[in-house]
Amino acid sequence: MLKLLAGVAVMGLWLGCLAQAHGQQMTEMYIPIGQSPGVSGKSSLMGAIESVNPQKHTLAVSGPSGIHEILLTDRTRIWLDRTQARLPNLTGTLANLHKGLKVEVKFRDADQKRVAEWIKVQVAESGAPARKP
Amino acid sequence: MERRARRRSALEPICIPHPLIAAASLLILAACDASPEQDLVAKGRQIFFNETFQGNGRTCGTCHPAENNLTLDPAFIATLPPTDPLFVAEFNPDLKKNFENPRLMRQFGLILENLDGFADLEKKFVMRGVPHMLGLRTSVDSPQGPRTGWSGDGAPGDGSLRSFATGAVIQHFTKTLNRIPGQDFRLPTEEELDAIEAFSLSLGRQHDLALPLPLKGIVPKRGQEIFLDNSLGKCNRCHANAGATANFGAGSIGNANFNTGVENLPDQPADLSGELNPADDGFRTPGDGTFNTPPLVEAAETGPFFHNNAIETIEGAVAFYDGEAFNSSPAGKLLAAADPDGVGIELDGTQIVAIAAFLRVINALENIRQSVELLESSRSKGIAHRAEAKELITRSLNETQDSIRVLEGGGLHPEAVAHLREAQTFAKKAARSLFFRDRLTKQAIEEQNKARAQLVESS
Repeated sequence: MLKLLAGVAVMGLWLGCLAQAHGQQMTEMYIPIGQSPGVSGKSSLMGAIESVNPQKHTLAVSGPSGIHEILLTDRTRIWLDRTQARLPNLTGTLANLHKGLKVEVKFRDADQKRVAEWIKVQVAESGAPARKP
Repeated sequence: MERRARRRSALEPICIPHPLIAAASLLILAACDASPEQDLVAKGRQIFFNETFQGNGRTCGTCHPAENNLTLDPAFIATLPPTDPLFVAEFNPDLKKNFENPRLMRQFGLILENLDGFADLEKKFVMRGVPHMLGLRTSVDSPQGPRTGWSGDGAPGDGSLRSFATGAVIQHFTKTLNRIPGQDFRLPTEEELDAIEAFSLSLGRQHDLALPLPLKGIVPKRGQEIFLDNSLGKCNRCHANAGATANFGAGSIGNANFNTGVENLPDQPADLSGELNPADDGFRTPGDGTFNTPPLVEAAETGPFFHNNAIETIEGAVAFYDGEAFNSSPAGKLLAAADPDGVGIELDGTQIVAIAAFLRVINALENIRQSVELLESSRSKGIAHRAEAKELITRSLNETQDSIRVLEGGGLHPEAVAHLREAQTFAKKAARSLFFRDRLTKQAIEEQNKARAQLVESS
């Protein structure tokens, strides 16, 4: 009986430890900035890059409610949105993030708004920064 | 077959237009107005089966056809013309490479998915079956968030069922592998996502069963006992009430993911073909090897089974849990750890067949329930809505055919099958009849109820 209970407890713990199931299907990279269903206009941050700190893996983004400092981790995905240039979107790196570029950030924890799950950055051809209006 | 009418039928207004009385007609027309929810479901249905999103010609219904339980299998695929958009990789030069594997599609009903990214289209993909969409209302929610698709992470955006269509359009509807929105396809609008979600949720069961059922058949009855026995079949732990939610004794934990070792099965059909078939690592990127729990009420009519269509029959699917691949998997080991004797799942041939017989019977009961509902719904359609009534009867006929196929496939309840055949005869006549539709439909319903009475004690 004890073994049974222990086993059930292990199962419960195992299931309890399962990570968030929220969507991370890779098709997200092809969705333009501002059009991610259930995310854009709800829990994501849209704005312009104020500064990038490659050493600290942080990004300052100027949004509607001020400047947010965002932390990037090894799991943060960066996508280059080239939809406006009628080019396929690409996977990017921290090196593609430059001051002034338009970005959308989805946070790992929508309440804390600290760690980025993904960042979409609007660029022109070949991942070069988009021209400022 | 398509199950969207369940909720709708309960709300269906009774419309008997009278062409001679204008005022009455107006009143009747008003009464015929559908509720906003019905409208949304109807709109979603229209989009689901007709909207190509300016892509390669596919619709949601291409892979989820109403006439095949919203799923694909090789037998159904073999009935499609070569120009069907399912085969777009065979006739669109831009999609010839790295979009589908036509051989694996035609032979095993497998669809290509780039679940781990689009960086290496040549080598980085998985081949998966098409999950049916029945009973989604009971099988998506979990405390960790919604779980969609075979690994529970099928949707972009917020990961919800509503967002699923956006990812599906990008993956499967594109004209070229560039996947540029506005050029290769258009993304669904917010309104379209709302409608598709409403339609999707209207499909199939809206509630889980409450087991045990008072089954009449000796073998299905024993199958149900084994299914519910947490020291023998242990099925009910992860498929509570033959649904898609898990319960380990402390209440439902919702829809869950497990690594059951399906990927470790030897001699998987797609592997035997010699085609490139990369391992599927399941949930997340990189994956943790877990896959989502599907509901079982619909299982008997929606094979092949598992995310890779590895097993063709429901008996084979049950037998999987008695095998080495499952019992040495993380889920199998956890079950063993919870067992006083350290045993995972150990079943003999008769017990495997009994569980499968139980699954066949509960599937037939669900089909009968839907058939009756569709027929009842058709009765509420007046002469002015004859085409609608005919469509409902046709869908009922499809359900009935499924019931017959599922029961006969297990050699179960021949008397019930005889009644179901009678029901088919009456329903076919009803669909054709101008003046006796209602009477014939009633007779079809009576035969359905007689079939049901053969399977289960009336409550």
